[in-house]
Formats: sequence, structure tokens, C-alpha cells
Amino acid sequence: MSFLRLCVSASRRVVSRTQAVGSVFSGSARSASGALKDQEPLKKAKTPQGRFDAPEKSGDVLEKFPDDVNPKTKEKGGPRGPEPTRYGDWERKGRCVDF
Amino acid sequence: MASVRAASRLLSKRVLANTKAVPAAAVQGSRNFHFSIYGKKKSAKVADDISTQYPVVDHEFDAVVVGAGGAGLRAAFGLSEAGFNTACVTKLFPTRSHTVAAQGGINAALGNMEQDDWRWHFYDTVKGSDWLGDQDAIHYMTEQAPAAVVELENFGMPFSRTEEGKIYQRAFGGQSLKYGKGGQAHRCCCVADRTGHSLLHTLYGRSLRYDTSYFVEYFALDLLMENGECKGVIALCMEDGSIHRFRAQNTVIATGGYGRTYFSCTSAHTSTGDGTAMVTRAGLPCQDLEFVQFHPTGIYGAGCLITEGCRGEGGILINSEGERFMERYAPNAKDLASRDVVSRSMTIEIREGRGVGPDKDHVYLQLHHLPPQQLATRLPGISETAMIFAGVDVTKEPIPVLPTVHYNMGGIPTNYKGQVIDHTNGKDKVIPGLYACGEAACASVHGANRLGANSLLDLVVFGRACALTIAEEHKPGEKLSPLKPSAGEESVANLDKLRFANGNLRTSEIRLNMQKTMQNHAAVFRTGSVLKEGCDKMADVYQSMEKIKTFDRGIVWNTDLVESLELQNLMLNAVQTINGAEQRKESRGAHAREDFKDRIDEYDYSKPLEGQQKKPFEQHWRKHTMSYVDPKTGKVTLRYRPVIDSSLNEQDCAHVPPAIRSY
Repeated sequence: MSFLRLCVSASRRVVSRTQAVGSVFSGSARSASGALKDQEPLKKAKTPQGRFDAPEKSGDVLEKFPDDVNPKTKEKGGPRGPEPTRYGDWERKGRCVDF
Repeated sequence: MASVRAASRLLSKRVLANTKAVPAAAVQGSRNFHFSIYGKKKSAKVADDISTQYPVVDHEFDAVVVGAGGAGLRAAFGLSEAGFNTACVTKLFPTRSHTVAAQGGINAALGNMEQDDWRWHFYDTVKGSDWLGDQDAIHYMTEQAPAAVVELENFGMPFSRTEEGKIYQRAFGGQSLKYGKGGQAHRCCCVADRTGHSLLHTLYGRSLRYDTSYFVEYFALDLLMENGECKGVIALCMEDGSIHRFRAQNTVIATGGYGRTYFSCTSAHTSTGDGTAMVTRAGLPCQDLEFVQFHPTGIYGAGCLITEGCRGEGGILINSEGERFMERYAPNAKDLASRDVVSRSMTIEIREGRGVGPDKDHVYLQLHHLPPQQLATRLPGISETAMIFAGVDVTKEPIPVLPTVHYNMGGIPTNYKGQVIDHTNGKDKVIPGLYACGEAACASVHGANRLGANSLLDLVVFGRACALTIAEEHKPGEKLSPLKPSAGEESVANLDKLRFANGNLRTSEIRLNMQKTMQNHAAVFRTGSVLKEGCDKMADVYQSMEKIKTFDRGIVWNTDLVESLELQNLMLNAVQTINGAEQRKESRGAHAREDFKDRIDEYDYSKPLEGQQKKPFEQHWRKHTMSYVDPKTGKVTLRYRPVIDSSLNEQDCAHVPPAIRSY
């Protein structure tokens, strides 16, 4: 019986700690993207805050061609970025691919 | 709060109840199989003939395909389309096969960018192979190439297009017009920059239309051979540890290459040459295994290749003394010398003790002396690549590189139809019931050196060829020839021995020894003394397999056991490679020796042929190596087979007589 009570108190403490930690996290996220969030209301309140409201930053070094058509060679649906075969092998992001 | 506790108590009770319901472990052999025998799999029967410890399930099919990469999938659904009851046994999920890493394109003489003819492609491939390729197989492949690419496009593969909507073809190395006299040809069709990925997914999607039975994560152990005929495959189901015998009239091997015998390779960890090893254990030969393609700058440890453009833009190779060593080996071209010169120079520096790193086994590629903006514009993405794969900041530190294996030209010898052959009494003899395609096979379209963009073509053309040959010669539903009930017991005995192995060397240690030996002795730099030393060391490493120790004694998903089986397969490939290289005393294509720098053909093709005497077969080297291994001792026997010099139809496409290869 006493063991059970110990378990209860331990789990209650754990639950309360996680609740406190949760609020700290959400609080910091709110303040981190605070500049944007304070000006507009959240569009999607249920999603992780701020991530989908701001325009997506393209992290890729090789950019997509407009309409996927390479302006120099008029190739549609080809590889992005500079021509992969320009050095005599197939180059992409510094890596050579063998095929 | 209380409800949470109550819920968790209920959940745990349910979990406990489930664990009690699970039957005992497979070691006792009383466990239920993960698949139930219903529908098409009604023919699967449990047999006790081999062993009572290992439950064996027998299946009967019309055809079995081992391996589900580009070639395996094409063969599997080609057979299903023709009406055969096909099984595809693969140790990886089909879309995880190494074909997915081939980012480049496929060559085909479609003629979309300029006037083109497949006979010019034939000439280029024969020349690229340094006249070691079988010209009938090359004729078959290049003639079928346009049809194969159009077929893939009809399956839904999204090739990149020109403005008119035809498939866009770009220029890639080694392809010319008008038999080498018309300038660069544009033949390489690609899908953005992920052709291999797209090919594999297209083929897998297409194969699901047919009713091929997939046995995914089944490791094929051995071929079931009887009286010189192949009657099926025996495989280990990794998921539950059961042994499966697949009896079939036709077996197709498409297991891929064996890059993992070397320390530095671009291949996946699963490229372990299982098909070539299975064929070796069955007493059949493997062809031309000494021809292995190297690339000079592969990242140390990761195995990714750094493009030659780095050196083209001004990058330099330096050794442990900080010296730009290429100035000594190629005073004019320096770092822009041809690939084999650069690879050999790097290897010589490492051998002479001027390598970098704790083991002094690689060199540095320095780019930080170039302005960072120039690097970012000319080679976008290289800083990302260097950081991810080498962990270096390319604007401050050099990249560690060494020559890396990326393709194996050799493999299981086949004729142009995909049937496995053996060479006895001076003639090619077809092994009934056995076929091979893809990188595992050597129909010898690549000969001594493979041209880029030809390997994806090889996969689809010969995968289809195997399916067509089987459809021509056999009918679906044919009665299976009888098989001894105890067939496959040596494989199970080997499995059992490895599972309970208790020596003193771990699998990973033996594997590292083999890889280091191969990298040091059978890599780019080959001379008689180095190769001989390597052969002796490899023989020792082969013997050290007796002292292997495994730790996992279970049977369910035992990756220790599967890695040890793969190591056995790698060993067989490695000994054949290094012994073949030691015996071949010439330089041809990818096999370049310092002590025999020239090609030794039956005539000296650098001089006019009149007045020259033809050298007898034993004295020249324009022949295929056929290597046999005794699996118990590791001893390699080498025989030779002549190159097929005539094309399939001399009126349609004349064969190319040998000449000196110069670009």
C-alpha cells in the first residue's frame, strides 16, 4: 500500500515536471518567433508554432529552373543547377556519380 | 492523473497477455511461420529431409530470380508477363537495391539530338572495352538499346525532354559519331539527376501489375545443382530463420557486384557478390574478375566520389609533406592528368610512406587556396558535400581522398542470350537451368573497361534477354525434374557452423583485413611483386576464416550470421580477383600493370598486320579469364576462353577488328 502511494507521488511529480517543462518550451518558442507572431494571429494554431506560417526558406543550393525548363539547353525536366557533365563525369554538388 | 495510471496499468496487462500468447523461440522449431500457406503459396510444404533442427519449406515455381535490382526486376516481370509462375528472392526490399544510386543516364542511339546510328554506339562500346568484349553481346545490347529506352519510357519513366517533346540526350564520355570520326555523340538519356532511382521505382511499380511472388529479406545461400543442372535456390528467411528451398526449372541470378571487397568503394554495404560466390561454390567459373574500375578521388571512409571538376577548377593533391606530388609524375598536365595516371601516382605516394592520416593510407585534395566565391559558383554544393561526408570545411581544410572502386566488369560468364556458360574442351557449354544478368553477369559487353551510361542499359537489355530466352525454350507449368530430397544440406550445415562459430577473430576484423589487403595490393597500382605478396596475404586471410567468431546464437534476424555469410561470399570474389590480376601479365583497360605496360594481343596492332605471325593462344592476352575456386582451401585455378569477335549478323553490322585504343 505504501509502495503504491510512493509510486503515486513519484508519478505526480513527474507529470507536474513535464507540464512545467512543456510550458517553458512553448513559451520560449513563442518568444523566439515572437516578432512575426505578435503582429499577425496564428493561421494554424494546431501546428508547431511559426514554422508553417512564414514562407519556406529554400535550403537547396541548386535552384529549380522556372517551369523546370533549362534556359540554355531548353531541356524540360532535366537536372537542376549547372550542367552535370561539364567536367567529363556526372557531377552533382561536388560529388561524382558513377553509372 | 489516476485515469492515466489506470490506463497504463491496463495497457501493460494487455502487452503481457500478448507476450504470453507468442509461442516459443524458433530454436526449438515449434514456432509459427510469419506467412501462412494460402492461395498461390499452397505448394509450400514443410520438409524434414535436411535437418530436424532447421525447418525447411519447399516451394515450386517455374522460375526463380535472385536479386531485385534493375536487372532482377526486369527479368522477374518479363517472366511473369510471359505467363511463368515466378518468385523473386531478394535480401533487400526491391527499391533499396544499389541501382537506386546510379544518378546518371542510359545510352541509346535514339537520334533525337542529331543523326545517330546504333552501329556507331556498337563501335564505341567495342573500343571502350579494349577489344575484350564479346562483339555478339555488344551487338545485341546496342541494337536493342533504342527499343529498351522507349519501352522504359512507355512504362512511365519520366525522362527529361527537348522542346519538341522527344527524349533529351546529352553528351557523355566515350560516345562518338561515324565510328569515331564524327565528333561527340549525344546519347545519354536521363531523368533529372536520379535516373537509377527512377528506373528502379518504375520497374518495381510495373512489376506489381503481374503476379510475381516476392520473397523480400530472404538471403540466398546456394544454388541447388544436380548433374551439372541448376534446379533452384536455397535461401534463409532472415525474418524468422526458416530455410526455404525454391525449386524451379529456371534460375536467374541478378545479385549485383562485389565492391565491398575493397576498403574504399562507392557500393552499398550489401554489394557482397552473393551471386558470383554461389556460382563459384557450385563449381562453375567466374569471368574477368580482375577488371575493377577505380576513380582517383573518393572520400576516405565515406566512399563518395569527388568530381574531377575540383581538380579542373584548380584543386591540388598533396601528400603528408604538403607537396604537390603530381608535378613529379605528370610535369605538364600535373593534377589534370588522366584518371589512371592520377590514381597510380596517389597509390605510389601512399606505398612509399607519404600518405596522411593515422594509418598513412590516403592523400589530401586541397581546395582552400581557391577563392570561396569561385568554389560556390563553379561547384555549388561542394561545401555541403565535404561537410557531410568528410566532416571538413572545404574553405579551411583539405578533403581526405584515395582511389575508390565503383564498378566490377567481371562476373558470371554468359552468352548474349543470358545463359550461363562454362568453357570445356575449347567450346562454350551452356549450363541448363541457369541464367545471369546485370552487374553480376559478364556477357562481356564491358570487356576490360566500362563506358559510362552503359551499365543501366546493360541491366534492362539483359534482364529482358533472360526472360525472352526462358520464354522461348520453356513453357509455363512444365514438370520439374526430380531433385534429391537432401539437396542443400551442405548449405544448412555451413549456416549451422557459422551460427555457432567460436574462434577468436570477429567477422568485422577478418573483413577489415581482407579489405585492407585488397586495397593495398590489388588496387590501381599493380606489379608482379605487389600482387604476389597480396595473393599470399589473401590466402592467409582466407584461412583465418576458420577462426571466425560470431556472437548472436539466435535464428531470428541474425545479422551477425548474415554478415558472416556475406564475408564468405566476399572472400571467394576477392581471391579470384587478386589471383586473376597476378596472372594477367599485360595492361588492358582497367587492369594496368607497371611491369607490363602494353596490351599483348595476337598481333601487334600498332604496326601493319602483313608479315606478322599470329601468336598462339597461350602467348597472348586477348582472352577472358575463367576462375574456379576450391571453397575449402581457397585455391584458385585459372583457365582462359577466347573473345567472341564476330557480331550476330555480319551483313547488318560488321565486327570491329582490333586496333590500338586511343582517345
